[in-house]
Amino acid sequence: MIKYAEKKTLIIEDFAEFARAVGTMLRDMGINYADTVTSGEAAIQACREKKYDIILSDYNLGPQKDGQQVLEELVAFNLIKPDCTFIMITAEKTAAMVMAALEFQPDSYLTKPFNSQLLKSRLDKAITKKQILSPINRAMLKKDWQKAFSLCDEIASQHKKYQNACTRLKFDCLKNANKLKQALKIVEQIANDRATPWSIKGMASIHYEMGNLKKAEHLFNQMTQEFPMALEGYDWLAKIQHRLDKPAEAQKTLQKAVEKSPKLLKRQKYLGQLAEQNNDFETMTKAYRQAVKFGQNSAFSKADEYVKLTKSLGSQLKGNCNEERSKLIGEAEDLFQQIERKFKDDSCVQFRGAVAHADFSSIIKDKKATDKYLQNANQIFDKIEEHIGASESLEIAESLKALGLNQLAECVLEEAVEQYFDDPDFIKHASKLTNNKHLIKNASKANKLNNEAVKSFKLGDLSRAINAFEKASEIAPNNVNICLNLSQALLKLFQSGDKNADYLFRSEEILSDITRLSVSDPRYLRFSELNRLNQLMLQKLE
Amino acid sequence: MMHNSGEDIFNMVLASTVHDMKNSLSMLGESLNFILKQVDIKSLDRQTKNYYGVVQYESSRVNNSLMQLLALYKLENEQLPFNPNYFNLRDFLEEQKLKHLPLLEAKNIECDIQVDEDLEGIFDDSLIATVLENILGNAVRYTRSKILIQCTQDKFTNISISDDGPGYPEEMIELAGNYIRGINQSTGSTGLGLFFAQKIAEIHSHKDISGSILLSNGGELGGGRFEIVIP
Repeated sequence: MIKYAEKKTLIIEDFAEFARAVGTMLRDMGINYADTVTSGEAAIQACREKKYDIILSDYNLGPQKDGQQVLEELVAFNLIKPDCTFIMITAEKTAAMVMAALEFQPDSYLTKPFNSQLLKSRLDKAITKKQILSPINRAMLKKDWQKAFSLCDEIASQHKKYQNACTRLKFDCLKNANKLKQALKIVEQIANDRATPWSIKGMASIHYEMGNLKKAEHLFNQMTQEFPMALEGYDWLAKIQHRLDKPAEAQKTLQKAVEKSPKLLKRQKYLGQLAEQNNDFETMTKAYRQAVKFGQNSAFSKADEYVKLTKSLGSQLKGNCNEERSKLIGEAEDLFQQIERKFKDDSCVQFRGAVAHADFSSIIKDKKATDKYLQNANQIFDKIEEHIGASESLEIAESLKALGLNQLAECVLEEAVEQYFDDPDFIKHASKLTNNKHLIKNASKANKLNNEAVKSFKLGDLSRAINAFEKASEIAPNNVNICLNLSQALLKLFQSGDKNADYLFRSEEILSDITRLSVSDPRYLRFSELNRLNQLMLQKLE
Repeated sequence: MMHNSGEDIFNMVLASTVHDMKNSLSMLGESLNFILKQVDIKSLDRQTKNYYGVVQYESSRVNNSLMQLLALYKLENEQLPFNPNYFNLRDFLEEQKLKHLPLLEAKNIECDIQVDEDLEGIFDDSLIATVLENILGNAVRYTRSKILIQCTQDKFTNISISDDGPGYPEEMIELAGNYIRGINQSTGSTGLGLFFAQKIAEIHSHKDISGSILLSNGGELGGGRFEIVIP
């Protein structure tokens, strides 16, 4: 029995009368606690303040965020409990809606109109399933794949009804634990029985992980033919074609998906990137325009699509463009203003924006504006506190070189090479841009030392690893990865017996030198975890 | 302004109108239930119960026709999402029954479901649900006292709905596989419903075998019997 009297419930519905009707149904079920909000923004605010057990959200919420975007943000920003049951209420299940829900699926879709019996039945089932499978999900959240795997077997034997659901979760566990051969065996068995978008994708993604790109390409081709509305197949296929050095084909593949469902920020951005590589600036502009548009209501919107759109407009203006020139110029200037306004606290973005603005001004032959924005860029550069990303650094350096600011370009490259030398694609591009041959040579030296050290670390030879990390760090003192590796090795050496306090002091010193790491940087989590461990061990000393 | 072809505009208008009408239908249903809560439904006289049944049946018919219309339009334009997945058949069929529960209770119709507890099928749930909603709605309308929903699985998944009513007209059974010819004013939603069911069954194909539907009379309960086979 589910105790509905204890369940905190949130109704997200912009149509007030319908929200009231749902509220009545919930009360009839015994739910005493139900809040109602009328927009996605209000829903996110409500979830910041309270933790709900059940959320019923309409998909269509008026002009701003839709129900799917609400769900994505709630999950991404950790605003709902993992055992919260989320039901999406829809007028009809459309391709655009279901296919936009790739990573974050609601527990259930409920189609209007429905009566209270149906709502109760749906909630009963969704909550029961969640409760029964929750031990598996908890183990998976902790990344304890082995435990999750054995829980799957255990629960499947107790609840025959969820046997197949457990088999599919077993596949996820094996894949995450990198036991690819075993994972492939499971999913092939399921697919032999019956090919569904899920099972084809499962097989293909394993082949992709194994490096069998051709086989993966073949399978995703099959998926897009058999299930043309399962758009995830196109995304994967495009990614693989891109890696197989067929960017024109990749673009065509992705365009098919965009025609069917334009509403995915990530997909539009990837299309823009491919079109840029193919010098198809009309498509590039179109894709980034959509990305900016759909990003308006999304918490995942980044400055990147704004800058890229101005780049694309600039490239169109360089050639014989079909659109009216003054319109494109106006559009770009408007974007630069938005970049200044929306991202005013991010000095990296402001720097990138200023360089892009100068670049654009020089395309439209506005000498005065070009000089003005270059001067801005120079001033902002000194204030930058965080690391500029790899691809952003390349874009900025390239523009600066073209505009004649060699010295600033080399500064940007130098910092970026020190930071991203372990990215072969980045180094390939950077070595074409820089005049400083010394820079690339040093980078490859540091990279080699770092790799050697990682190898020793894995073999358990910690002293040797630390020695090599220290040497690499001498060449690239600001490289965050090396610093983190070194710190980790020192902490491990301390733990593994030789309780020399100097290791902890050295590690603390290294970590305290990392001052330019942005909270949004993917490495930040590792950094803060090491910091925490380091402090914990130091406290125990005293 | 983005370029919109005529088709896009029609698609958009159709979809948003359907959404709007579905909100209206939800409100109608809820308002009716609210009114009914003020009185004891069992105490209503036969004629009032009958009218209640008519409102329930007709609003579900309007909703169902809208869904079919939208789906068929999308099918023609290769816009229909077909996303087969695994579903527990007992849960799925119970939900289909729940959609008609107020009417079943009001008309005192017995509705049994016979299916193994753990049976799982692979199909697109929203499409098959639209098919069954229509068939079940008609069964509720035409049966005398009983409906039987059965589901079995060998190589294929078979779902059948039988009743103890007068059965399908002979001409309709003779249409077998050619239900488009059965759509006319006199067959109403049954004609469209069967054509839609056939189309949706055909989409559910597996290794060159496509799904199908079958009509017959004198089935388990002596009345009409509808069967959909999903490979």
